[in-house]
Amino acid sequence: MSSPPMPAVRVAGLRKSFRVAGTTIEAVNGIDLTVAAGEIFGLLGPNGAGKTTTLRILTTLLPADAGDALVAGEDVRRAPERVRRQIGYVGQLGGADKDATGRENLMLAGRLYGLSAADARRRCAELIEVFDLDGLAGRSVRTYSGGQRRRLEVALGIMHRPRVLFLDEPTTGLDPQNRANLWEQLRLLRDGGTAIFLTTHYLDEADQLCDRIAIVDHGRVIALGRPDELKQRYSADTIVVTPEAGPELLDVVARELADAPFISGVVVEPGAGGHGTIRLTATDATRAMAEVFGALASRGVPTRAASVARPTLDDVFLRETGRSLRDAGSSAVGADAAEEVAA
Amino acid sequence: MTTLAPFALQTRLFFLRKLLETLRQPVWIITGLTTPVLYLALFSPLLRPLAGGPAFPPGHVLDVFVPGIMVLIAFGAGMGAGWPVIWELDSGVIERLRVTPASRLALLLGTVLRDIVMFAVPGVVVIAIGAAFGYHVHLGGLVLLFVLLALLTAACSATSSALGLNLKQIGSLAAVVTGVQLPLTLLAGILLPLSLGPTWLRVLGHFNPMYYAVQAARSLAAGTVTTGTVGLGFLVMAVIAALAVWWGTRAYQHAMA
Repeated sequence: MSSPPMPAVRVAGLRKSFRVAGTTIEAVNGIDLTVAAGEIFGLLGPNGAGKTTTLRILTTLLPADAGDALVAGEDVRRAPERVRRQIGYVGQLGGADKDATGRENLMLAGRLYGLSAADARRRCAELIEVFDLDGLAGRSVRTYSGGQRRRLEVALGIMHRPRVLFLDEPTTGLDPQNRANLWEQLRLLRDGGTAIFLTTHYLDEADQLCDRIAIVDHGRVIALGRPDELKQRYSADTIVVTPEAGPELLDVVARELADAPFISGVVVEPGAGGHGTIRLTATDATRAMAEVFGALASRGVPTRAASVARPTLDDVFLRETGRSLRDAGSSAVGADAAEEVAA
Repeated sequence: MTTLAPFALQTRLFFLRKLLETLRQPVWIITGLTTPVLYLALFSPLLRPLAGGPAFPPGHVLDVFVPGIMVLIAFGAGMGAGWPVIWELDSGVIERLRVTPASRLALLLGTVLRDIVMFAVPGVVVIAIGAAFGYHVHLGGLVLLFVLLALLTAACSATSSALGLNLKQIGSLAAVVTGVQLPLTLLAGILLPLSLGPTWLRVLGHFNPMYYAVQAARSLAAGTVTTGTVGLGFLVMAVIAALAVWWGTRAYQHAMA
């Protein structure tokens, strides 16, 4: 008999507020989401969106005010102990004991989860190999570079083979190469069946690494789904074509193009040297492109330049909030900042 | 689901971690040994003219003074616990350990046990040096003295950890610890017996838990084990140690950087 696989994380109506300097900040304001086993799930949002607070509730560090949260099938409020046995956690601060060696850190983590000394040693050797920490394991963590330390911290989080791994802003401060390496490690873990729940404020990280994301703002989920699906649902491709023709002729072409069902908007802008530029948004960029070239070719107009801009997750955020993710969070008093003060 | 290391193993692992932390910083070990020895060498000569005088407890000057130094070592060994706790908060170590299923009591006891070692080792050295210069050793009493002061160390260590976890700032912790150190040690009659002071000072001393430790320690060091003073000392130390351990465990349950 087979039952549907238990979700790694299930959250419903989660709420948490902090009082800071006389005002109440709703850090988490009714979040619902589900994470399946074997997927990388990302919480994307600006600083102060409530990402870290959500993660801290799920990892039993912080009690929620209201709502239900199940992690690996266990209730974080009623059975925090059972949740802790099944999760790994890599916090923003890292949490490696800097004066101890990498190996001492790993051994302690393994033994605390009940691994025998021999098993812990074996697992330790395995992770040292996987995370490329050879030659460093016997050195004090204080001597590690940023990337080396992050690798050790992730290794610490998975020493006991958790079912769900939580990571808070795992690649902040890493150079592109270390970032790519970490992504690769996380994908391998996912392929091995571990559910991965991470927070990020990087668009590309959410886009390229995560199987599904929840975009959060002011403690709410404003969009939830696969990154490509979200981009398609909330936004469209932008095509810019610069033909060798004046705006008058292009206006005629534009009117013709606007009738196509997969083209949602056409604008003609004056360009350099008396030539115009056609800018259009399309739900299907390939067909729209063919349509534009066809219309221009039938009038014998050559094309000087053409480009397609794919929608980004920032477009999704912009459309839902009226702000760009790149700018958001820097101005507002953030929930996470509030938590720092309140906690 | 992973199994969990039993409580005793967790405590041992945390104890070894803290012991390594100390061994990596030999300066702590050196000052832990030199400070009490300096007290013996530099302070006891000042007491010598008082010995045998009115209101001064009977016996060799070191018989009065060595138990006091022992209390001072216990206090110092315990009160240092809070500093590394704040570093561990800042570097996320405590957050990471709080996500593991490890017992918060074990986490606290690891530090408490390390601090008891940090009291006992210099304690033995002071007894040995004191004995060479006239302190009278009563073995049975001495063993009980170490047990009594291990309780005091535990109380101070757990209190210091709790303070560190709650205050989160090195500066605040330093202010509190140095602020209480002088009244607590003076009103315990550690350096100079309270019997030398006026009535109001002696009354005030009775509100200081450490006073009972010092009184009991002097009695034990003199070899008188079955006195009310000793019983009261053990009772007071056991109660404050239990309260402090409870407070420290609670602080670990809620600790946030």
